[in-house]
Amino acid sequence: MGVSAPLLSAAGVIGAAVAMMADGRRAVAIAVVFLAAGLAPTAATFGGAPGVAVIGACAIAAVVLAWAGWLGGRVLPWLSGLDPTIPAFAPSDRLFGPRSARAFGAAVAIPVASWVSFNVPVGQVTAVEGLLFPMAYAWTCGVIRLLVARTVEDLLVGVGMVGIAIGAAWLLRGGGDSFPGAVLACAVAPLAAFLGGWLHGRSSRRASPLVEAEA
Amino acid sequence: MNPAFVAGAWLVLGLVASTTLRRRTARLAAVVPLVGAGLTLLTARSPTAAVPLGGLNWITGLDRAGQGILVATGLSMALVMLLQPSVDVSVGRTVGVVGAAATIAMASSDPLLTALALTTAIATLVLRWIGQSPGRATLAAGRVAGTGTMALVAASPLLPLSGFTTGDRPIVVAALLATGVAALLAVYPLGGWAAGIIGSLKPLDVAPWIVLLVPVVLIIAERIPGGVLGDGSPVFEHVLLVVGLGSAVWGGIWAARGPAAMRYGRLFMADIALCVAAVEGASASPAMTGALIILVTHLTIAPILLRSEGAGLLWPRRVAWALLSGVPPSPAFWGRLLLLEALAAGNVGSTIAAVIAMVSIFIATVMACSSRALVLPAGGWRGRLPELAAWLLLAVGIAIGLAPQSLTRFVFGS
Repeated sequence: MGVSAPLLSAAGVIGAAVAMMADGRRAVAIAVVFLAAGLAPTAATFGGAPGVAVIGACAIAAVVLAWAGWLGGRVLPWLSGLDPTIPAFAPSDRLFGPRSARAFGAAVAIPVASWVSFNVPVGQVTAVEGLLFPMAYAWTCGVIRLLVARTVEDLLVGVGMVGIAIGAAWLLRGGGDSFPGAVLACAVAPLAAFLGGWLHGRSSRRASPLVEAEA
Repeated sequence: MNPAFVAGAWLVLGLVASTTLRRRTARLAAVVPLVGAGLTLLTARSPTAAVPLGGLNWITGLDRAGQGILVATGLSMALVMLLQPSVDVSVGRTVGVVGAAATIAMASSDPLLTALALTTAIATLVLRWIGQSPGRATLAAGRVAGTGTMALVAASPLLPLSGFTTGDRPIVVAALLATGVAALLAVYPLGGWAAGIIGSLKPLDVAPWIVLLVPVVLIIAERIPGGVLGDGSPVFEHVLLVVGLGSAVWGGIWAARGPAAMRYGRLFMADIALCVAAVEGASASPAMTGALIILVTHLTIAPILLRSEGAGLLWPRRVAWALLSGVPPSPAFWGRLLLLEALAAGNVGSTIAAVIAMVSIFIATVMACSSRALVLPAGGWRGRLPELAAWLLLAVGIAIGLAPQSLTRFVFGS
């Protein structure tokens, strides 16, 4: 049964767009889950059931590890840590905020991903052209999110998006090493979620008065 | 011994050092890079160099040059830690992770594994930097260097290029690799993010990037055009030639004009940018030998100059600056001469840019030599130990200047 390439692309674009706009304490896990959902049809087309399993496991691991990291960060005996959601610097007042910049970046990413999709063949056994769009779009959005980052959370979301996008691209590449490559690349996203959760846990832990007095 | 075991040892020792050591024993964290360097010497040597342009083939092994650079960086990092006036215990964790990542990156022919190892190193450094000094400069390190490692990750599914050496694919791969290398070495744009972190952080916090990561990335970058990049080779080489020369001139000028506290960082970046430009722009030339001499010189001098000016070692610092000045027979002279020779074989524009950078670096070192910092005299034999170690390092620096090729051959085997 043939699969509609525009439909696969649309799913990827929706997933990446949600990931671009996700903010707040659970942003990494939300971005990873939505992007994984958007890229799952492409993974199913090229990787079959194992492909979907890799992407699905990545999303589940991101949610679980984000929670585990948060819990771990809370119970460890540190006074406080870096809050990943607080901007590292205070920008001057501007007409457009960080989300507008991300939305603009997501729009710019469409022609970039389109060009990559139709001009860069991927694959070792047989070269595939025109089907790289969802992954190229998610990667470009991830990099734009990194470049316009204001918080550590933004950096982690960007890294997580790139990890899943490249993991899906490894599935598209085919050959014997496509699954190990996809697993290795996708592992970046749950690790980013764990780090985000860990930093949240550390920063949200209420300092004990004794420790605070000693500090 | 397998490089993966060495990387594991770096990691475990770093984590153990950061959790068990206390303020009084913090300097013992120098054991982490020392043991890492020692174990690297014991690894089984691979006859071929690992070039991260292959398929998914995990760790292939360390060749002689890879082993040499990892041992030299480990020893230099240990000396940086031993010569600091005070050491933060938690730096042991950063050193352990970055050392482990550098070992994996150097030993792997797998582009994905290399990219992920470098991502781990940069993520560790950036989180530490942002935690130490949250601000625009440290966040920029995460933005730019993070983008660089993500570019390297993106190149991995498109490699190897066997059967696809023409068309857009090799050009896209070359652009991604050049972006990654330039971002990790901070030669983009014009000295980039590193200038900010050198200005806003303590030298010991920047040292793992300068001493452990940059030399490894430079050696990996040198090997890439030797792989099969096809139509992408000119893109990779020309991009790094142009941004390297631009950054070298910019770094040299700011080393002379900027604040004294940032001078060594600026000068180091200018030298690395010159090395990248010459090695990539003129690969079949004496450029690599010149770059290796420059690297060994910086690894020898860095423990002395990565100390704040007011923390003593007035005369050793002056001699160290003289060794970096480029006046014969300083080791920097031979290194820069070979780089200039390589660039002169290319075109006159490259030569002019390199000469401007080298003159600026010379002016910066003369200014640094003539600075009169107020230094409190060290008391007792314990206070004299850093000075003794500094003079020993300077003796090694002078020896490099007297026999540059022999000593680089001793370290790198070529």
